[in-house]
Amino acid sequence: METKICFRLNGKDVKITTDPLRRLIDVLREDFDLKGVKEGCSEGECGACSVLFNNKMVTSCIIPIGAADGQEIMTIEGISATEKGKIIVDAFADGGAVQCGFCIPGMVIAAYYLLSNNPDPSDDEIRLGISGNICRCTGYDLIVESIHLAAKRGGAIWKS
Amino acid sequence: MEELKCYMPKTLREALEIKAKVDVIPLAGGSDLMVSHKRTIGLTPVFEKPVMIIRNLPELRKIYVNDKGECCIGAGCTSAEIAENKLCPWHLRQAASRMGAIGLRNSATIAGNIANASPKGDTPGPLYLLDARVKISSLRGDREELVSDFIVKFRTIDLKSDELITEIIVPYSEDDFDYIFWHKVGTRKANAISKITVSQAIKFEKDGKTVKDYRVSATATGAKTNRSRDVEKLIIGKTIEPEIIEEVVNGFDQVISPRAMPEFRREATRRMIRRFLTEAAKHPKDKVIDTYEGYSMTGAPTPRS
Ligand SMILES: Cc1cc2nc3c(=O)[nH]c(=O)nc-3n(C[C@H](O)[C@H](O)[C@H](O)COP(=O)(O)OP(=O)(O)OC[C@H]3O[C@@H](n4cnc5c(N)ncnc54)[C@H](O)[C@@H]3O)c2cc1C
Ligand code: FES
Ligand code: FES
Repeated sequence: METKICFRLNGKDVKITTDPLRRLIDVLREDFDLKGVKEGCSEGECGACSVLFNNKMVTSCIIPIGAADGQEIMTIEGISATEKGKIIVDAFADGGAVQCGFCIPGMVIAAYYLLSNNPDPSDDEIRLGISGNICRCTGYDLIVESIHLAAKRGGAIWKS
Repeated sequence: MEELKCYMPKTLREALEIKAKVDVIPLAGGSDLMVSHKRTIGLTPVFEKPVMIIRNLPELRKIYVNDKGECCIGAGCTSAEIAENKLCPWHLRQAASRMGAIGLRNSATIAGNIANASPKGDTPGPLYLLDARVKISSLRGDREELVSDFIVKFRTIDLKSDELITEIIVPYSEDDFDYIFWHKVGTRKANAISKITVSQAIKFEKDGKTVKDYRVSATATGAKTNRSRDVEKLIIGKTIEPEIIEEVVNGFDQVISPRAMPEFRREATRRMIRRFLTEAAKHPKDKVIDTYEGYSMTGAPTPRS
């Protein structure tokens, strides 16, 4: 069964005709070629597939595309093109936060969501903010450092 | 009406009309359904019946206080929305703020948590404790039922095929209790499905000694969430003495029936009851006994440690 689904994706209005029960992650990766959305666990546990849904961080592997009809989705591709996104991506690179890189799109989204709500987080608040994102490589410390760096570099930008 | 595989109503009315004609599975946050029906990477989940997506129905997203002073929470409100809304009762905000991690809390809904009828679900604990009711709607009208009756048994709820949960109503006011307690024992800080959660509350008479009201509920300690008015009555009308505390502790121990790791779950529950009553008897300044507070990005209380 195919249905027309219209939504905002990374700031543009898009439409597709597809099975509304397909997973959001599959539609983003396959139909829109947004390969920055990663699939780790497929069950909402690891955060690799995180996107913003109406500006709230969610895991796209447990959401059917039908639920996105009329809503707004931002992926890592959209976020890293924004000024705030760039600050985080640069801080991750400069701070040595990245090893294999698989968890990083989700981590950047978590950092973006955290700093947008809390511009100057403590260590604990950062760890809580990325607690739904699993990284098998880094041990998290350099990711936490890099988010501090992004908070510092962004300064007032995070409050706007 | 031609039967579809998936319905996407825009209004509650439309959703109820579909429900009256087709036996659909309502899908809200999807955090239970999409996981239980997942296949493999790239494949669309397959459901045994048609699905109706209700995630964005605006009528189910409101939180307000009704004219009786009860807190009314739309069925589609997420854990994050509940955790950050000060109108919601304290125990419920605690439970909502510790469900899964941030991404999950932005999807998981309260009605989904209730309808899932899992003894490990976190919100039924506070909802049982506070005598919360579910409002159930269909084209035939609305009805209300205590959450503790609505969840009939493991994975079974009292919902007819044409009905939807539309609201959760919690009779609650700040001064209902003098001391309150909520604790989740999980494996890790985030994303932990509960090993157990215990909710408690107590109110003293004006003399400050006689117990006027005491309540305790526990999740993940049996086939469904546990609460026993008979056990609570053991202490109501009395002053808190060590022997009475033990009566309550042992009474509640008889009520619960944890299957996995029963001794751990029993001992943890016994300790939490003992601790709360012992502390409450000392009349500490803080209303909250053994809790989590602090800052979180959603404004929700977060663990201190
Ligand atoms: C990674 C992860 C971590 C989790 N951690 C926790 C946790 O810590 N604590 C916890 O309690 N749970 C947890 N869960 C389970 C789940 O997130 C919750 O049970 C959640 O509240 C379900 O809500 P939903 O809207 O996503 O449900 P859905 O999957 O959309 O639906 C669940 C059930 O409810 C029914 N339903 C939904 N809305 C209605 C309605 N309005 N009327 C009638 N029926 C309805 C559906 O038909 C279905 O049977 C976790 C799940 C995942 C994937
Ligand atoms: S792939 Fe979605 S949370 Fe792991
Ligand atoms: S850098 Fe490899 S999983 Fe995080």
